[in-house]
Amino acid sequence: MSATETSGQPSFVILQVGNRRFALPSEAVVELAPPVRLHPFPHTSPFIAGVIVRRGRIVPVYDAASVLLGRSSSAQRFYLVARRRAGSASDLAAIPVNGECELASGNMLAPEADHPAWVAGTLSLDDESVDVLDFGALTMAERAASESNRAELPS
Amino acid sequence: MRPASELNAKPRRVRHPERVILFFVSGQLFAISAEAVQEIRSTDSLAGAAIEIEDSELPQVRHIVERTRHIYYVVNACLHFGLPVERPALVLILRYLRVAVLVDRIERMAEISAIYRLPPAFDGDERRWYRGLAYLDDTVVPVIDPAGFLQSSDFERLDPMAKSMLAQSELQGAAQA
Repeated sequence: MSATETSGQPSFVILQVGNRRFALPSEAVVELAPPVRLHPFPHTSPFIAGVIVRRGRIVPVYDAASVLLGRSSSAQRFYLVARRRAGSASDLAAIPVNGECELASGNMLAPEADHPAWVAGTLSLDDESVDVLDFGALTMAERAASESNRAELPS
Repeated sequence: MRPASELNAKPRRVRHPERVILFFVSGQLFAISAEAVQEIRSTDSLAGAAIEIEDSELPQVRHIVERTRHIYYVVNACLHFGLPVERPALVLILRYLRVAVLVDRIERMAEISAIYRLPPAFDGDERRWYRGLAYLDDTVVPVIDPAGFLQSSDFERLDPMAKSMLAQSELQGAAQA
């Protein structure tokens, strides 16, 4: 991970999923985990690919690419572990990323009017506008999409 | 970034190391407490005693077996866990519950000293299926909750049908004799 800017402005971790870059507020990020083993097992919770073991803790891995890119991506080998707020509690969750992360700082701008629920805002980096992820909303968006698909299935 | 030390959450410890049976279902490794299993039999050895349920309301339960005056429901673990169906070779006959479980093969016995809680992100049927997760030889293994195979409402649905089937089977046996 490399730091590109340091100032009094809020800092973000810039990560890459597929061919797109996204940002996460750095205070939500716990670590960038190396390509550890993903442990899948049978379950019915949508969009969870399995779990990884990090520092004595079992962390669920969300298939974020299917929400962010509209398709699963097998190119991601690292895991970004972040704190996820679920109601009044918080827990850890991970999303697969390609390992190229950097720190950047800047002021988050309001998202576009028709933004998905998982976009908390945008960050202007040089000539690129990067969506800032709301990690909790991202994992809930995956659930909402799954429930919506289930509702559309013929009975 | 938060300090890495914050991640050192401890798993739920079991009071004493717990003996578990590790077994495979459709390529997936599971653990079940050895205390929860009364007997392990081959499917061939039970084939003669099993009665097929026609039009079962529960797709994972297709057979019943009568043992020691109790009706056991045979649960196909592949269907229970939503795994690809394979030909099971063994039956785990559970203790305390009238359930027998079709599995592929036994891997080995092991001791686990800790069971990790399922992370809150898992909120589907797996919360009923598993007591938690164990970490054995660098592998995360779901630890099965035996009570998760069939709920009391399932027994209420199955019992009348099974009794009627057994009565019919006994009548047929008497007529043939």
